[in-house]
Amino acid sequence: MRLSVKNLSAFYGKKKILHDISFPDVRGGMIVGLLGPNASGKSTLMKCLSGEKKSKGDVVFDGENLHVVGGKRWSEKVATMPQTAPAPTALTPTELMWSTARALALPYSNRELSWKIERIFDDLGLSDFQLDALHTLSGGKRQLIGLALAFIREPELLLLDEPTSALDLHWRMIVLDLVKNKVQQSGSVSIAALHDLDLAARYCDLLALMENGKVIASGTPKEVLTRDNLARVYHVKTEIDLSKHGYPRVDVIGAI
Amino acid sequence: MVNILRPIDMMQTSTLEVEFSRLSRRRIFILSGLLAALVLSLWLDILAGPSGLSAGQIVDGLISPQSLELRHKIILWDVRLPDALIAIVVGAALGLSGIETQTVLDNPLASPFTLGVSSAAVLGASVAIVLLPTIPFVPPAFILPVLALIGALGSSCLILMVVRLSGGARETVILFGIALVFLCNAIASGFHLIADADALQQVVFWTIGNLTKAGWLEVAIVTCCFLVIFPFSLKHVWLLTLLRGGEAHARSTGINVSRLRTWVIIRASILAAFAVCFVGTIGFVGLVGPHIARLLLGEDHRMLVPGAVLCSALILSIASGLSKTLIPGVIIPVGILTAIVGVPLFLSLLVQRRRRPS
Ligand SMILES: Nc1ncnc2c1ncn2[C@@H]1O[C@H](COP(=O)(O)OP(=O)(O)OP(=O)(O)O)[C@@H](O)[C@H]1O
Ligand SMILES: [Mg+2]
Repeated sequence: MRLSVKNLSAFYGKKKILHDISFPDVRGGMIVGLLGPNASGKSTLMKCLSGEKKSKGDVVFDGENLHVVGGKRWSEKVATMPQTAPAPTALTPTELMWSTARALALPYSNRELSWKIERIFDDLGLSDFQLDALHTLSGGKRQLIGLALAFIREPELLLLDEPTSALDLHWRMIVLDLVKNKVQQSGSVSIAALHDLDLAARYCDLLALMENGKVIASGTPKEVLTRDNLARVYHVKTEIDLSKHGYPRVDVIGAI
Repeated sequence: MVNILRPIDMMQTSTLEVEFSRLSRRRIFILSGLLAALVLSLWLDILAGPSGLSAGQIVDGLISPQSLELRHKIILWDVRLPDALIAIVVGAALGLSGIETQTVLDNPLASPFTLGVSSAAVLGASVAIVLLPTIPFVPPAFILPVLALIGALGSSCLILMVVRLSGGARETVILFGIALVFLCNAIASGFHLIADADALQQVVFWTIGNLTKAGWLEVAIVTCCFLVIFPFSLKHVWLLTLLRGGEAHARSTGINVSRLRTWVIIRASILAAFAVCFVGTIGFVGLVGPHIARLLLGEDHRMLVPGAVLCSALILSIASGLSKTLIPGVIIPVGILTAIVGVPLFLSLLVQRRRRPS
């Protein structure tokens, strides 16, 4: 499986939000980290890649072009975890998972589906809450349910919009470990928007650094996480060294 | 480290399946209870009334109408039965359109009534009563419901236009609905100013809502409308449940939320239009019935949609029975009683829910 994004542009009204986004081809088994400050266009790019938002340019995944095959076919292969967690209603996580699977006509029997949901909840530490109302759950747990909703679709392209922003240290690691495992075992591709540079360096095979709707640097974490890039995009002074495990570690000294 | 390669035995039931199906069974049990209560209430509603028909006579009369003397036959078949049945079908229709509008607009106060459907119906009715127009091919007795229906459907069309133009933005739709309510009320008030006292009283009477004018034809029309629309609602129960997870989630799955919203608003307002055009604006049922169902059954629309239908039908049926029995010899307009029946029921459930630790 291979994802290629070339010259992708998108608008909100007349305002151009994404300017000819391209990044290196992504092979199956890889996690791509999208970095960039607030309002740099990460979520917009995610929505374009998922087909939720109209865009121009070439997005080709597994030999199929988004703009050729159309949204319906596309959404069979792609699942997005949006930046906002599921709404805090009286719905229970199980009902939400179940209705999502059924509304999208996923081809599982009831028994298979309940096994799949149970296992995902198990992995994400949600088993104790599976029949609680969403509005009684903490913000982090609801974010994990958002992730579970993407997992249940077993996508070939998994788009995660800040999947760990509300999670504690433990669950950040677990979640990205899980994603890494899934991606590597099934040869699928994941793209994750992240604000946490440490996680990005640790888990992503490729990084794309965005600013004002453009990708200004892309490549391996070592290539992208440089003092100059970070100073330019985030306006922070940093020192970068290599961790014991070989990935770059960013030490932020202060805002510029 | 999480092991994602655990083998699973698909033949065994998972604990989640066990718990989930236990919950579903409990909800089906509650639904059956509601259905039983509705049947009981229908029976009591047929029984209630001043003419001294005994339960035995009614059973006989239902099985073989010929066995009754003519006076009783007319009371049972032309008054009691259609009145009792219209209460149920109108309640069901308002409940269905209420629950669907609440869900697609993600607003607990939304209903076809807040979208202006009933105000437009009142406007149509006011025109009919005050101006006494004639419409070709429409018998005089039907001028009022026809104009009420035209008003209600007209307002639905306006709402729909706004849904389309705004791309299905919830707030815009709700705000426009409220604006429409004010507009229709203002125009209707203009007609009321020029109306004579008699016409004015008729308008007020119609606006309160009452079931006693309905006959079999009205029952049949509202029932057909409900039966045509209900399957579409059932087809959408998964989507509606999914939508309760939030618009961001729904859109991220590739579902066309705006289109779903448009469809639901179309069918909910048509249904509400037919429900109110014969019996007047019995508004409260469509708001509180769905909420009671929500408290009893949770948010799974497989259960909630039938539940809202049953709850609303039940409230209107109880109100219909009470309207004939509360003051002997007087039929109180049912629109007055729906709130008086519905509010205590609703409050008691709300309070219970508060007390119960979740
Ligand atoms: N619905 C919208 N209508 C108009 N403009 C929008 C809309 N959504 C986003 N934008 C604009 O698009 C630009 C990119 O926003 P986007 O949400 O993609 O940023 P982001 O990188 O995800 O930021 P964050 O880190 O804060 O999530 C911003 O300038 C924003 O104002
Ligand atoms: Mg974002």
